[in-house]
Amino acid sequence: MCATNAIHMHAIREGTTRLSAPCRARCPVHIDVPGYLSAIADGRFTDALEIVLERNPLPSVCGRICLRPCEEGCRRCLLDEPVAIAQLKRAAADFGAYPVRKRSFPRPESIAIVGSGPTGLTAAYDLVSWGMHATILESEPLLGGMLRYGIPSFRLPDYALDRDIDHILSLGAEAKTRVRVGRDVTVSELAEENDAVLVAVGLPLSRTPPIPGAELPGVMSALPLLAAISRGERVEVGSRVVVVGGGNAAIDVARTVRRLGATKVHLVYRRTRQEMPASEQEVKEAEREGVTLHCSLGPVSIVGDDRVRALIAARCTSIPGEGRRAEPTIDEEQVTRFEADTIVFAIGQAADVTDLALPLTPRGALEVDPLALRSPAEKVYVAGDVISGATTVIDAIAAGHRVAALIYRDLTGDARPLEQLDEESAVLGKVPDAMASKLETRRRIMMERLEYFESVQSFEEIESGYTEYEAAREAQRCLSCTSGARLTREKCASCLTCMRVCPHGVPMLQLGGYLYFDADTCHACGACASQCPAQAIALEGHSEDEMIQRVQRQLTNTSLETTLMFACGSTPILPNIAPGDTRTLTVTCLLRASERTVLRALQEGATRVVFAGCVESTCRFPHARKFVRQRAARITALLEALGMTDAFFLAEYDDALDWHLP
Amino acid sequence: MIVMRQKPVTEIRDMVARHRRVLLVGCNTCAAVALAGGEKEVGTLAEILRLAMWRQGSQVIFEGALLQRQCEPEYVMQLDAEGYDALLSLGCGAGVSLLAAMIDVPVYPALDTMFIGVSQGLASWEAECSACGQCVLGKTAGICPITRCAKGILNGPCGGVSDGRCELGDRDCAWVLIHERLEHFGRTEEIAEIAEPKDHSIHTKCPAFGIVGMEESDPGEKP
Repeated sequence: MCATNAIHMHAIREGTTRLSAPCRARCPVHIDVPGYLSAIADGRFTDALEIVLERNPLPSVCGRICLRPCEEGCRRCLLDEPVAIAQLKRAAADFGAYPVRKRSFPRPESIAIVGSGPTGLTAAYDLVSWGMHATILESEPLLGGMLRYGIPSFRLPDYALDRDIDHILSLGAEAKTRVRVGRDVTVSELAEENDAVLVAVGLPLSRTPPIPGAELPGVMSALPLLAAISRGERVEVGSRVVVVGGGNAAIDVARTVRRLGATKVHLVYRRTRQEMPASEQEVKEAEREGVTLHCSLGPVSIVGDDRVRALIAARCTSIPGEGRRAEPTIDEEQVTRFEADTIVFAIGQAADVTDLALPLTPRGALEVDPLALRSPAEKVYVAGDVISGATTVIDAIAAGHRVAALIYRDLTGDARPLEQLDEESAVLGKVPDAMASKLETRRRIMMERLEYFESVQSFEEIESGYTEYEAAREAQRCLSCTSGARLTREKCASCLTCMRVCPHGVPMLQLGGYLYFDADTCHACGACASQCPAQAIALEGHSEDEMIQRVQRQLTNTSLETTLMFACGSTPILPNIAPGDTRTLTVTCLLRASERTVLRALQEGATRVVFAGCVESTCRFPHARKFVRQRAARITALLEALGMTDAFFLAEYDDALDWHLP
Repeated sequence: MIVMRQKPVTEIRDMVARHRRVLLVGCNTCAAVALAGGEKEVGTLAEILRLAMWRQGSQVIFEGALLQRQCEPEYVMQLDAEGYDALLSLGCGAGVSLLAAMIDVPVYPALDTMFIGVSQGLASWEAECSACGQCVLGKTAGICPITRCAKGILNGPCGGVSDGRCELGDRDCAWVLIHERLEHFGRTEEIAEIAEPKDHSIHTKCPAFGIVGMEESDPGEKP
């Protein structure tokens, strides 16, 4: 623990430690968030999707229901609001094309995966990506586990889940549904037929409290209720429903019963609202949908005759300072009576492992080595919620990655995937004041969603997703932490141009004429990289060659009059150029289109290249505008010398022309 | 630093038009710093020349290479010029000359070598030295009369000065600046010293005499 952080900074300077943006560091699977946001900002949704898929096989799912630990780390939090990282992941899945890969299995190993929840799906995705055979066994008729049967469709509709699952199956993962392991086939049989068996069965059972009246008709458990709705079964709940619990399942149940026709929905939770494990956002939305919250109340008994009539709950006080798991004390004197037609318990999940015939601990859980994730039974691995207790989707995905890497290492001796998971990185600090003062505040773009009175009428998905334009605009709010300038020292001519170009003082001169780029303050505008005469500076995730490839892709099958337009991603309007064949390439800033790129485009089939951009009011990088003009002037001069006067122009939008007021 | 600027593209095009396969050679020292001949400019120039040839319907292949310094034989030896029938140097005059001396194909300059200068901020330089070979800056308080006086006179100012400005109207009179700075340092009496004419023969002597180095080095052993 170096007091001045010098060791840490030294490691970063020397390139021995990877530097991560806080969003990426906080994500349990470390998705390259700045990378895919910058692709979305350029309108490259397919590229963005591929970046997400490197680490997360369920972008369509996580884009909707992830609890987004990433957003808490967003460096924009201190300026205005975090970037809508999860919702942009959804945009990538909505508008990007899932990659189509040829199925190939260069490796002979086969792995049976019991359970098709996020852990099982992720493990299958990894193992088939590494060339192994993976077969998922699922007792329900459809894949997805808790994603399908535990999360209501107004939050995660089936089509969104199927998109991810279909992609995983397209890679070659096999699936056998309606197979109950333990009954239809045993784990030992699977272990005989395969090289490994992964048990990722999750926590499919609901707990019920041992209170009087819990056996009465009209008392339900959360998971069977949610599963029944997902299967399309009819569930009668009456008009007054009490939901007991404070987790996301409890909130989902409360919102579900609202949609089933319950008019009075009470949510009873025995701890305080601050201690509620459910996400703040979900709780707020449930309240807006008409769910009434009652905190610090614990169920003591259920009153009824031939069916449920009411729930009796008593005041609970949790002892502060004893942590979340401390049992609250119940004050039997202060009781509240909730009249109810139905009572749903959502107070916790439990494993169902008796049928598996695997070694158990004295408490009835699966016995497992916590590091190797192996059961004492031969070839059997265990991962996911079944050993960790209820977690979030993204944690379950992380568990799937880990167990897949362990299986791969044990079967092949290749520990690289495992090392990659354990790779350490330093995390970027908060936005320095000097930088914060130069940043423009920009509010998060709210997603179009159903009104609350509409949403409770049906199970229709509440959020309709960003449009492509909204997604690009929102992604432009990203500060591109850690995707800024990277210097290749060997190429650097120490000309100091970068220092003279950067308005934020990011490049700093060190002894010996070396430059050091301070990642904390870099905005990733690209001005230095665009001016570097030695091409020693590159932006993470951007290269001139890549840009030229994009140009080439745009310019296939050109006509005699094809215009290539480089459009600034922040430009809300594109210039009205003569009708005809116009191909548009959106770029983060026009500076990413170098002189070489433009000149190349003119040889690749473009008869004219247009720079559309530099709208003062929407520009993200105001200091870059003069360089854009300079570059445009240079290109124009070069082309004019060759007599190509019409081949290039810069279409600048004059804000002044847009004034309607006198 | 030596400051260079790129020649008009048409001039470069016409120089190399008769060749088939041309290698553009950048220089990662002064030329790169002068934003005229680093890797970026090599790429841009190659591209505009390809475009120029393509428009003329002639097929000339342009490829790029970069040397750390074109004025050092060891670096030039690293250049693989095999298969090219001409080189286009994006270096200063010294670079062009050394390439021409060491590589047996025609070498053309893509840049004009301007002066030795100091940086005035982004992409701007001011001439401060003319490499005259007999430095007088010690006597002129660090202001070069050869470079900054339009006439390059050693005893000034001349009669063309008015209000401290040169009669050309585009600059301050170097000699007025020299007088002011000498006065600032309390060296006013030195102003009256008459400077002897410089030995211009240094520029007309055999080039081998221009070699600066250790006494024992044999001037005949030019690379």
